[in-house]
Amino acid sequence: MDTICVQQCTAKFNADFSLDAITWNIEPGQCWVILGANGSGKSALGALLAGEGEIQSGSLTGLPGRVSIVSLEAQAKLIQAERDKDDSDITDVVFAGTLVEEMLEESCVDPALLAKLVQRFNLTPLLTRSFRHLSTGETRKLMLVQALASHPELLILDEPFEGLDVRAVEILRECLVEQNRSTALLLILNRFDEIPDFVTHMALLHQGALVQQIAANDPPAVAQLAQLLHLQTSDIRIPEMETDVNVAALAPDQPLVEIRNARIAYGDNLVFEHLNWRIEPGQHWQLSGPNGSGKTCLLNLITGDNPQCYNNDIFVFGYQRGQGESIWDIKQHIGYVSSGLQWDYRVSVSVLNVILSGFYDSIGLYQTASDRQQEIARQWLGLLGMSQRAGASFQQLSFGDQRLLLIARAMVKHPPLLILDEPCLGLDDMNRQLVLALIEKVCAETDTTVVYVNHHATDRIEGIDHYLALDQRS
Amino acid sequence: MANYFNTLSLREQLAQLGKCEFMDPAAFSDGVSVLKGKKLVVIGCGSQGLNQGLNLRDSGLDVSYTLRDSAIKEQRQSWKNATDNGFTVGTYAELIPTADLVLNLTPDKQHTAVVTEVVPLMKKNACLAYSHGFNIVEEGMQIRDDITVIMVAPKCPGTEVREEYKRGFGVPTLIAVHEKNDPQGQGLAIAKAYAAGTGGHKAGVLMSSFIAEVKSDLMGEQTILCGMLQTGSLLCFDKMVAQGIAPGYASKLVQYGWETVTEALKYGGVTNMLDRLSNPAKIKAFDLAAELKDIMRPLYHKHMDDIMSGAFSSGMMQDWANDDVSLLGWRKETGESAFENATNTDEEIKEQEYFDHGILMVAMVKAGVELAYETMTAAGIKAESAYYESLHETPLIANTIARKKLFEMNSTISDTAEYGCYLYNHACLPLLADFMAGMNTDVIGHGLSLQDTGVDNQRLIEVNAALRSHSVEIIGQTLRGYMSAMKKIV
Ligand SMILES: NC(=O)c1ccc[n+]([C@@H]2O[C@H](COP(=O)([O-])OP(=O)(O)OC[C@H]3O[C@@H](n4cnc5c(N)ncnc54)[C@H](OP(=O)(O)O)[C@@H]3O)[C@@H](O)[C@H]2O)c1
Repeated sequence: MDTICVQQCTAKFNADFSLDAITWNIEPGQCWVILGANGSGKSALGALLAGEGEIQSGSLTGLPGRVSIVSLEAQAKLIQAERDKDDSDITDVVFAGTLVEEMLEESCVDPALLAKLVQRFNLTPLLTRSFRHLSTGETRKLMLVQALASHPELLILDEPFEGLDVRAVEILRECLVEQNRSTALLLILNRFDEIPDFVTHMALLHQGALVQQIAANDPPAVAQLAQLLHLQTSDIRIPEMETDVNVAALAPDQPLVEIRNARIAYGDNLVFEHLNWRIEPGQHWQLSGPNGSGKTCLLNLITGDNPQCYNNDIFVFGYQRGQGESIWDIKQHIGYVSSGLQWDYRVSVSVLNVILSGFYDSIGLYQTASDRQQEIARQWLGLLGMSQRAGASFQQLSFGDQRLLLIARAMVKHPPLLILDEPCLGLDDMNRQLVLALIEKVCAETDTTVVYVNHHATDRIEGIDHYLALDQRS
Repeated sequence: MANYFNTLSLREQLAQLGKCEFMDPAAFSDGVSVLKGKKLVVIGCGSQGLNQGLNLRDSGLDVSYTLRDSAIKEQRQSWKNATDNGFTVGTYAELIPTADLVLNLTPDKQHTAVVTEVVPLMKKNACLAYSHGFNIVEEGMQIRDDITVIMVAPKCPGTEVREEYKRGFGVPTLIAVHEKNDPQGQGLAIAKAYAAGTGGHKAGVLMSSFIAEVKSDLMGEQTILCGMLQTGSLLCFDKMVAQGIAPGYASKLVQYGWETVTEALKYGGVTNMLDRLSNPAKIKAFDLAAELKDIMRPLYHKHMDDIMSGAFSSGMMQDWANDDVSLLGWRKETGESAFENATNTDEEIKEQEYFDHGILMVAMVKAGVELAYETMTAAGIKAESAYYESLHETPLIANTIARKKLFEMNSTISDTAEYGCYLYNHACLPLLADFMAGMNTDVIGHGLSLQDTGVDNQRLIEVNAALRSHSVEIIGQTLRGYMSAMKKIV
């Protein structure tokens, strides 16, 4: 590999975002970490080296032939590509989906290495499963294995540790240490505390410009960079709730949720069985478990998004499921955030309307919001620092900004039950702290009961004192 | 069985054809309550069956499925669709006698057989629902007098019906009551509750009649929707290749061009679609469309006449009885066309380029939409139905062509649409031969050259005014407005 030279390079990614006059050299064997807030352009910088973006001035030379990238955007694309293969709406043949092993074979250049990695990442049991039945974390592992097995000369990993369980993070770190000798490595990270010790250089992006480049063995410079990324989160106030709503009050002496002896299976594939869970009002829960243990399935039994909720004994918000209630009767009591929701939120809608849609539990906005609701939604925008962008298109925002908005959408109506399925996935340090602080305030100051799902042991939340852990599925 | 429409007096025919009004959302304030606690049994678990059923259940209704014995025994896809989603599945004998509402969501061609078998099992005073009225109107199916017969027809494919429901919205839906079978006067109330259960009431419901639905649906699908896009695809592709344009480019421009230009149609009607062109190109497209309309008008009239007289459906049913010989022959022909077999270039075509290089395609869509709409309204069909069956559905078929080209498009649309599409195609190709001989790559393939940017102001004002004042644009604006109280369109 030659030195990769980026010279005064300005590149356009969409109408609203460009990278601005980037000058940067990557030498063979170096390992860079790129830091920056959500929307700063750090993912764009990675994508630029993977051939995305329209270079408008300056130059980019010395790119090697084999470049691999793993990112949330690439993951979304992969999921979309698999969805596009599904023509069941017009052919009426239900699409079985591509198998994991087919997917791996398609892209493989080194079968021996691939086999080793599959074993190391414990993907063997998934090989014969359909790609689209993988959980978010499992999909991530698959992409990492694909990238590592392709002998890249430049390997770009955008938030590689996101959504991985603790064991998988360890394995990936080990692989990267080995990989590092022969490959230029570019890590794009949100969490300062995730920077591996083999990193040789750090860079900070701000509003599309590369504002800092430092060597990792320069402690004072590193400390300063960390400080730059840090945000004061002490002065947060949660916008009030709407008062005159006609959602029936819940009986305070009833559990919010009671699931008895639940079982979920797809064909012969058992996700879990004999599961019992009772959530009392005011009991905040943390739900954890390795990738694929069925966390999201379980939550979807509560929200009504999993059709198997009709075949289980589920009592929610005063309704025994399947007795004539509608899913909107259920959803009015829930605020919900997950990666799945973000992928489904693909309608053309403004930033403000995304928050307003939380009052109606809809994806997109189909009702006229009241003045009071508009006012509350604007307060939330203020809290997120997005007041200037109220009219902007949701789809044009960065992944992290979209996630913040969806969190506000979930909280806006002060729901009796707030379900946060890995809410910090894709967020930078500052926003992560903002969200965690918000959740703590919600637990402490409102009547909302929180169910919080995460992998990161460090994301402990003050106020959560009940834990449910799911096991690996058999 | 006699064609039901033909048994009516002219006065009754006109009254039925002219039925179609946009219902006030307040008419749905009772939601699904009429059907609460009632047993809904769906026959067939395909595209409409599965997705309507999922929505109805999520709206709090009691839904189960009945399938023909072979589907259950062989655990066919329809059986899997139902059981994987946790529904009860049973035979006709097990479930039909328990049903208060039977939803017939089998393919139209099977309706006579299915309904004949099922109705004797239905309990007294139960209700039978369709999502398309062909069986009642064209085949003249007679249903027992005590049974209420209604129609709830979502104007979108089944997956869309589900996706929009999950978003908290719905798809535009047409409802009707078969007046001959409304013994308790309950038909409308049941149809409204059913429409509300699928989410349709959020996107707008049209109150229509079986006859208006069938006649307008047939007309739309065989002319502008499938017929015009098929004919246009073949003509435009062949023209470009004959003029030396690389087949890979021609194929891509046509395959994705319809979808791109009709996306503009979906949001802002014919006007917006033409507004996407430069001024000289817009005038060109406008003039070409006028010429096309003059040439094709008699063909649109003939299709409408044959649909009204029943000649179309009896011809098609003869082909059904003859093992679909004509249909399958035509389908094979489509599969062998040069367009179908061309491989697309990898070269990117930008969104705007589809307009700039596809002026003739834009003109064809405009001509087809307006002719279908004008012909339907002249035959006594209301503007609202005519709009839905022409302009509104064009982007859906265009999307299918973008994904699958013509052969698959034809195999996936209904049998009636496919048969009608081929009839249109065979008549329209020779009809446009002379016109096409005069076309050049400036209107299809390359676009106007840059010297052409000047236009006459007076002429431009006339064209803009004519575009905006067409009746399909006026009704379109109103209906799109209903459906988008907020930002959401279509
Ligand atoms: N697709 C649309 O966009 C659309 C839109 C509006 C209205 N509609 C109307 O909805 C109705 C259903 O259409 P569809 O597109 O949903 O059909 P479809 O996807 O082809 O599904 C038909 C279902 O009926 C079953 N079936 C087929 N032949 C049968 C027979 N002889 N006896 C019993 N069951 C049979 C099939 O299952 P097995 O073969 O496994 O038995 C299948 O589950 C039609 O009236 C259509 O006009 C469709």
